Amino acid sequence: MLTQESRAATRDVLAGLIPVSIITGFLGSGKTTLINRLLKKPEMNRVAVIVNELGEIGIDNDLVEVSSEQMMLLNNGCLCCVLRGDLQETLRDLFVQRRNGEIIDFDRVIIETTGLADPAPVMQTLLTDTLLLEQFRLDCVVTVVDAVNAAGQLDQFQEPQKQAALADRLVVTKTDLVTAAQLDALTARLRAVNTRAPVRLAVNGEIELAYLIDVGLRRTRADLEEVERWLGETDEHGHSHVHDAAVQSFVLRFEQPMSWASFTQCLDVLTALRGPDLLRVKGLVNVEGKTGPMVVQGVQHLFHPPLELAAWPGDDRSTRLVFITRDIPRQTIADLFAAIGAVGSRATQG
Amino acid sequence: MAAEGTMRPGAQATQLALNMKLIAHNELAGFGGVGEGSNMQATKDGRRILWLAHESAPKNFTAVDVTDPKSPKIVVQTDLPHAKVRSNSLDVVGDTMVVAYQTKEWGLKPAGLDLFDISKPEAPKLISHFDRSGPSSRGAHCVWFTDGEYVHLTSGAPDFEPSHPKDDQFYQIIDVRDPAKPKEVGRWWLPGTRKGDAEGPLPRHPRFDGGYRPHNTNTYPQRPDRVYIGYIDGGTVILDISNKAKPRLVTRWRHSPPFNGFTHTVMPLFNKDGTIIVTDECTKDNGEDWPKLAWVVNGSDETNLVPVATLPLPPPEIFTKRGGRFGAHNLHENYPGPCSMRSDHIVLGTFFNGGVRVYDVSNQLQPREVAYFVPASPPLTPKGSAQINDVFWDDRGIVYAMDRFTGGLYCLEMNI
Repeated sequence: MLTQESRAATRDVLAGLIPVSIITGFLGSGKTTLINRLLKKPEMNRVAVIVNELGEIGIDNDLVEVSSEQMMLLNNGCLCCVLRGDLQETLRDLFVQRRNGEIIDFDRVIIETTGLADPAPVMQTLLTDTLLLEQFRLDCVVTVVDAVNAAGQLDQFQEPQKQAALADRLVVTKTDLVTAAQLDALTARLRAVNTRAPVRLAVNGEIELAYLIDVGLRRTRADLEEVERWLGETDEHGHSHVHDAAVQSFVLRFEQPMSWASFTQCLDVLTALRGPDLLRVKGLVNVEGKTGPMVVQGVQHLFHPPLELAAWPGDDRSTRLVFITRDIPRQTIADLFAAIGAVGSRATQG
Repeated sequence: MAAEGTMRPGAQATQLALNMKLIAHNELAGFGGVGEGSNMQATKDGRRILWLAHESAPKNFTAVDVTDPKSPKIVVQTDLPHAKVRSNSLDVVGDTMVVAYQTKEWGLKPAGLDLFDISKPEAPKLISHFDRSGPSSRGAHCVWFTDGEYVHLTSGAPDFEPSHPKDDQFYQIIDVRDPAKPKEVGRWWLPGTRKGDAEGPLPRHPRFDGGYRPHNTNTYPQRPDRVYIGYIDGGTVILDISNKAKPRLVTRWRHSPPFNGFTHTVMPLFNKDGTIIVTDECTKDNGEDWPKLAWVVNGSDETNLVPVATLPLPPPEIFTKRGGRFGAHNLHENYPGPCSMRSDHIVLGTFFNGGVRVYDVSNQLQPREVAYFVPASPPLTPKGSAQINDVFWDDRGIVYAMDRFTGGLYCLEMNI
């Protein structure tokens, strides 16, 4: 917040941005049911939902007020629109129409990906497109997992595995159709792919709203609770122990501040050599000379522009980076940081 | 679909907001037309009183207790003596309030300013009236009062005969150190606007002759030797007032013509880039005088002002059809008092049916819109849309936007 005499105070560059949630999941996993249920929550009364086809979203008829080929207005204040051209164009159009007073003042966007979609490009658009970064922020990637079919799909296809790996929140659906043992096995499987995203079970698409929204950083003055919500568990012992799994997630911690140049050099090398396998990176970096931590968010080879938090949330000032990778072990990245000399000390051993 | 207006019948009447949330609305007891005088008093008993000058008769001014901005309460609302006078402008320093009076025709009274003791906001007590009526005077349109000592005034005077009827007001410095006996200590007019001036006649604006008069006359403690004047068709004027008896022209910048005149407010931000925000006033309905803009000016060299950007607005082809005026007008003027927020890079402006809009000008060359609020059309508004006229941003971060006709007061929280 600006204060009366703080002429040097800067606007909170995150505060005014419209949150965007990506809802992904394999074919038939229950994405549309989940969205349908979410739109009935009283708090979700100014949401713009972007879908691939209006027919597919299957909004309950009693909710639809007006509909055209491109857009459907719901009687609770929300709207659904079709992804036109690319995501950038659709989001820009929505914002312009909102500003012009042609559509509702939506305060949240939900993007439903197709079942076969790799969510990474959608995330990359939101993290790196300079036009969209002015108005929107990635809030949460929700991956919907079908309890009945997921095990087979995870074995058979790349997409569901990547969808699960990139998630901030995992939602398991159709849980009433499987046994407790099957559910436990699936949960363990998901944990192996994505250690840090919490897993919740939905029945008939019902899930607590608070679980799915306001996950991403929504202000640069974020407190510890907000940072932990976004970053998840950053205890290094929490990393994936499923050594045969191609996709793994782990945390690197560095106790000493590092220079921004060394840090970016490490990322440059990593992305140049292993970009496609660097599925997701997020964390806080203690950069020499900075008051607050630098926020790092990346998907494969693309990273959000550098952003500094106003202050360190809590006493822990160590750099902590969450990695989700495909076939890149933790040690490889730790060694790289050491080799480039990004840190005075090596990564503390987990 | 939506672009053709088929999706939402009556969409023009709906509220539009980005990063601003309406926390309270008060129609001011049915007299919701507010002018361009708004300022806040911190009373000795701990209340926050927002003083508002009305746009036109019958009401003079209204005081609203906004201690709890979610529950604004009218403390007092006063009447004008007749329908041919308006107050429009006021300022508050401590427990003293100055109110301007402008008549519709020359020669009428009251024309000038009143000083009130508002230590008891419920019962403002008139201290004195400073008469500026005269055969060629409508009195005062605008006051600026920040130091408790001098009022910077836009007014006519009994001894001033303009060379053109529209040039009947000029800049005056009024000493109110003895509030019972205000006296003029300095004046300046654009050469050529007073009958008998060697200069002139001045060329009139070819399409919209708004006149050569000051509108806002702002001073700031950062430069006590300067007054920043929006001089209507005279453009931007900066005067050296280190000698109050003899104000001296420092610079004058005109962008009209080719633009459509009516320079309204000149507000220096005193930031490292020397940014000055200059607004035009839109004075015609339905886009007739579009574009009326808020200019971002590089004033690093005050003798050579350079416009570098304008504050971005939503498309005129849509907003000029929403009813009433659409274009720039007032700013939150970084008023140097205890209840006002001040920023050297966040600018709040009012744009009539474009509502109140908020900009980040930290990059002078690329100002960014970061928030806006356009109320739904107020009931009984004669223009079919809200016409947001003035704005005040208090030190607690609450934004107060005022409608010109019936909407009254909108209290807003901002998330930027």
